[in-house]
Amino acid sequence: MSEEKFPINIWINEDRYAKLSKAGLGDLCEEMLAGLKVLRVYADAAQRDKILKLFPTAKFDSATTKSIELLPKDVKDKIFDTIVEKESVDIMAAFLAKF
Amino acid sequence: MELGHGRKPIVERIMEPAEAKEKIKNLVQIPIRSQIANEVIGISYGFFSPLQGFMGKADVDSVCKKMRLADGTVWSIPILFDLTAEEIAKLGLKPGMSVLLTFNGNPMAIMEISEIFDYDKKEMCKAVYGTDEAKHPGCARTYAYADKFLAGNITLVNRPKINAPYDPYFIPPLEMRKRFAERGWKRVVAHQTRNVPHTGHEWLMKGAWFQTYAELPIDKPYVGVLVNAIIGAKRKGDYIDEAIILTQDELRKSGYFGDHNHLTSLTFWDMRYAGPREAVFHAALRTNLGLTHHMYGRDHAGVGTYYGAYDAHNLLATVKDELDIVPVYSMNWLFCPHCGEITSEGLCNHKSEWQKFSGTVVRSIVVDGVKPPRLIYRPEVFDVMMECGEKYGFGSPFVTDDYLEKRIPVFEIPPMK
Ligand SMILES: [Zn+2]
Repeated sequence: MSEEKFPINIWINEDRYAKLSKAGLGDLCEEMLAGLKVLRVYADAAQRDKILKLFPTAKFDSATTKSIELLPKDVKDKIFDTIVEKESVDIMAAFLAKF
Repeated sequence: MELGHGRKPIVERIMEPAEAKEKIKNLVQIPIRSQIANEVIGISYGFFSPLQGFMGKADVDSVCKKMRLADGTVWSIPILFDLTAEEIAKLGLKPGMSVLLTFNGNPMAIMEISEIFDYDKKEMCKAVYGTDEAKHPGCARTYAYADKFLAGNITLVNRPKINAPYDPYFIPPLEMRKRFAERGWKRVVAHQTRNVPHTGHEWLMKGAWFQTYAELPIDKPYVGVLVNAIIGAKRKGDYIDEAIILTQDELRKSGYFGDHNHLTSLTFWDMRYAGPREAVFHAALRTNLGLTHHMYGRDHAGVGTYYGAYDAHNLLATVKDELDIVPVYSMNWLFCPHCGEITSEGLCNHKSEWQKFSGTVVRSIVVDGVKPPRLIYRPEVFDVMMECGEKYGFGSPFVTDDYLEKRIPVFEIPPMK
């Protein structure tokens, strides 16, 4: 059985999509609404717990989407920047190592 | 003479300060809270016409049981002034007395007390809200009233000073009717809102404009949309008032509408979330403002799962011959990638491809400040919303504890000159 993963939704507008495409990650986005896309970055259970501890405003939607919501804007911006920099969405370990 | 709801003349109950200064000398003073101050403004400027004051028991009873004032005029929500028995005894209040209502320590209005009464709050809740559960916000407000109610006519003695940025948007009924006449509008449709408009909301207004326009000639612009934002008690997570009013107006300023078909305004009112009964109240309010049509979507002014999607429409239908405002029912608007446009769920048939405006998604976009495509938010609207968050919202366009504590008051009652 594979380990359970918990998504963080990063919104992708045209600007961001251009950056992602350059990093070769454009295909990972999913259409959400009227051209706005979403990129899902996944955390494992331990990473999820660390995120909730580091950023107290964040909430884990345990009931429906199993996603991590309400992260501060600057944290999500940094996650996005790390993805572009590393040209990968598998960045949670590297990202959390900064804290 | 301007006729308002119930075909009764709209009368401003306002005394000029020179005369008032004499009249208020020696009156017992009663400080009031913001809800009551909002309602004093509603009564004295004619927003609540034909009400001339806070309701007496016969009116309250009739409103609860028959959705009418004692004289038969359709009215759906009790307008009450509450005090505790202790306060009444301490101040020696009796029917026949006039008292001075004060707000922020300054004189606001004279109330001529005609009656002091009590009313079963549980019964009131069941009649108005269809439930007596304390977790319904309207019931909670009812249960929070003190145990006694004072009835009596109200006369404003000191006009409120509306603070920036709200001041241009306070347009009372008689003034509003002049504005409509100046613009040559034969019909005006009301958009009730507490939202920053995304394109789904913009299209609700545009759709209602088409519905309202109907058979009128097209040689000149004859139909307007009036955005009438409800400004009152806020809950955490609501949009801040500044963002609501300024973004709604931005749709006109940026040309998505224009002066020829769009006007933004506000009404002071603490939402009761009474669903169908609130819809009927909105009809009366907007009739007084001079509107001919009123938009109603699904679950208008509802909360939680208390009301069915069409309950408000059905209740409005029972009194339609007595209302002088035509309900315009709105279906939802959504984005269809196949059509490549915002469309109505009543038009497009690419159902499996539809992308709906989800409240959670829209809110998340705003929180993250990622500027969305112009088919979701107009860029000018999004920028104004974000600026409002910085300028008025302590960093957020949504209501926070900071905002509740430190926000700019919408109006003040100044010292009397
Ligand atoms: Zn379509």
